[in-house]
Amino acid sequence: MRAQKPRREIVGFAIAIGGTILLTAAVAPGRSHLTPLSIGFGYLVIVAVAAALGGLWPGITASLLGFITFNFFFLPPYNTFVIGRPEYVVVLFVFLGLAILISALLARANDRAQAAEAREHELRTLQDLSAGLVALRPGPEAYSAVVTNLLATFGLTAGALFVNDPQTRELREDVAVGAPPGELSPRTDLSGEGPAVERLPLSVGGRSLGLLVLGMDREPFAAEESRVIRAFCDQFALVLERDRLLQEATRSQVYEQADEVRRSLLAAVSHDLRTPIAAIKTSVTDLLSDESPKSGEYAHEVLESIDRETDRLAALVANLLDMSRIERGMLKARIQGVDLLEVAPAAADRVRRQYPGLVVRVAIDPAGSIVRADPVFLERVIANLMDNAARVTHEAGGTLLELDGRRMGPDTVVRVIDHGKGVPWDIREQLFYPFFQMEARHPRLGTGLGLPICKGFLSLMGGEIWVEDTPGGGATFAFSIPTEASATVHAPASAGSAR
Amino acid sequence: MSAGRVLIVDDEEAIRRSLARALTVRNYQVQEAADGPDAVAAAIASEPDLIVLDLNLPTMDGLTVTREIRARSSVPILVLSVREDEADKVAALDLGADDYLTKPFGIDELLARVRALMRRASGKDAESIRVYRTDGIEIDMAQRAVRRDEEAVRLTKTEWELLDAMSAHPGKLLTHRWLLERVWGPGYADDVEVLRVFVSQLRKKIEPDPSRPTVIVTDPGIGYRWSLRPVDAAVEAR
Repeated sequence: MRAQKPRREIVGFAIAIGGTILLTAAVAPGRSHLTPLSIGFGYLVIVAVAAALGGLWPGITASLLGFITFNFFFLPPYNTFVIGRPEYVVVLFVFLGLAILISALLARANDRAQAAEAREHELRTLQDLSAGLVALRPGPEAYSAVVTNLLATFGLTAGALFVNDPQTRELREDVAVGAPPGELSPRTDLSGEGPAVERLPLSVGGRSLGLLVLGMDREPFAAEESRVIRAFCDQFALVLERDRLLQEATRSQVYEQADEVRRSLLAAVSHDLRTPIAAIKTSVTDLLSDESPKSGEYAHEVLESIDRETDRLAALVANLLDMSRIERGMLKARIQGVDLLEVAPAAADRVRRQYPGLVVRVAIDPAGSIVRADPVFLERVIANLMDNAARVTHEAGGTLLELDGRRMGPDTVVRVIDHGKGVPWDIREQLFYPFFQMEARHPRLGTGLGLPICKGFLSLMGGEIWVEDTPGGGATFAFSIPTEASATVHAPASAGSAR
Repeated sequence: MSAGRVLIVDDEEAIRRSLARALTVRNYQVQEAADGPDAVAAAIASEPDLIVLDLNLPTMDGLTVTREIRARSSVPILVLSVREDEADKVAALDLGADDYLTKPFGIDELLARVRALMRRASGKDAESIRVYRTDGIEIDMAQRAVRRDEEAVRLTKTEWELLDAMSAHPGKLLTHRWLLERVWGPGYADDVEVLRVFVSQLRKKIEPDPSRPTVIVTDPGIGYRWSLRPVDAAVEAR
């Protein structure tokens, strides 16, 4: 913008001087055949061109040169400054007046055009910069791109964005471009050493949001550049504010969701913990009641149900603890060789005790029975899957539950096969999210936690879990777990199909 | 001889089992239902003497079940609720449930409620002459007379109506809303303060010790219960 001006002025002066000389040289030989007036117009053309291209001073120069040359060469008597006829004096001075007037007018028009052009350029620059601001998604990468763009536009090499941390109320360097982080300081360097920088505050409504620090390895900003940068900073501040508010909105949304989960957890906990407690309370007060039959058989029956409900309560509490530990990442698997031939039958026995009518078939292939697992986790996974399967089988009025384990490549795949209602396709993924309930209105911990816990445990042991259809109806929950490489060495000699 | 037929409605098998066992062993005939539609069907088809209804049911909630049953039958309904479901409990009582128990509860508490509700429903209380006596107080609803230590006590018209509404349902938990609508009219259903004032006036006249009421028992936040049994019925039951 500004760099062009001296060059244009030089061109103007060149035209003023060169044009005058050329015109004089060209016209001088035939000057006796021309009226002085027409020659004067020729000089006016030169004045106009010089002023139009070079501005006021080239115009004035051309005017004065023309005035002198016109007088000297073309007003008789020639080659003297003496003016022969009085009307030539008028012509001469009218020429000078017109020339200066033309210069002034053209120069002003020219300045205006240039200013308009500069304004337009500023606007375009600002537009380009702010288009980047609006188009980008919030975050340091976006800010970094914006700062890079700014540096390129103004021929800078280094810049940094500092953001006011709402918690600590201190400036934190968010983005550094072209300089290692920490090199551009947000605070004024009193020693005067270090690189020259420009510090531009970013604020909205009087509230400071941050600071843009630019390393100045060039001459200071011109007035119009400053204007553009200030306007840009205002927009940048607005964008920072928008992003901050957006972040806050997202955070409150997350809180709301967490709140939702907490509420449904609370409802589920209150129902699932209270149900066995209520059953136990009824049974215990039944035994304590004066009207209770004093037969040992009845007491035994009641005690058995108390025992069952206590187990249920204990299992729920264990699940709750497991889930919270998994979610907080507090668990570490102690991987070792574990024999499914020992774990599975124990789980099967427990299920048989709980559901006396149920037939539980266990078939473990000895070739893959020893797996790399945490024995406690593996036992909990199998117990949870068996409990689920036993419950749905029981609810569907079925009697058969199968547990199958076989080698598949580097893994052993264990399948818990039920013949219940099965699992619809669309919820198979969600089953493994905590607190997903098959019935939204009626949250139950039993189904809401068991599978996510299995998934959590298995992922700690390098295993996976999924659902399949049981041929002929029902669901099959399958999981894979790495097989112990030296399985054959540790396998018990008598290993076979366990019942 | 059967002590009565009870329908137990709860979606939790463990609860149904323990209740059914305790009631069966005490000579009640027990029928079970695991969800709302079954409960309504059983209530109509087998006409039990009493329904124990869990409010927290899948598919059809306990309030709907209460409404459905009440539309067809006046069988006593004892609702089971949990502590957070205060509003549901009151709504169920407003809809015509007779009493409630909060889980977990002792079996004796349940049996006491069951007996009280069945006694009332058997018709002896409702059809009797309705004379109540306690500690020097005599209330004769037929003659509209209250005597305290042989001296007549005067009651206002509203007090009589309140007394009548309460004593007609001995043992039943009467909600604020029910009493207000009954005595003052539907427009007064939420004027609990009015009810409170009149109950307190009434207590001064009919309670042996108005500072420790035993005739009109408060169930905080829910309503009142008339605890006296008519003289005739009480004698007969013994």
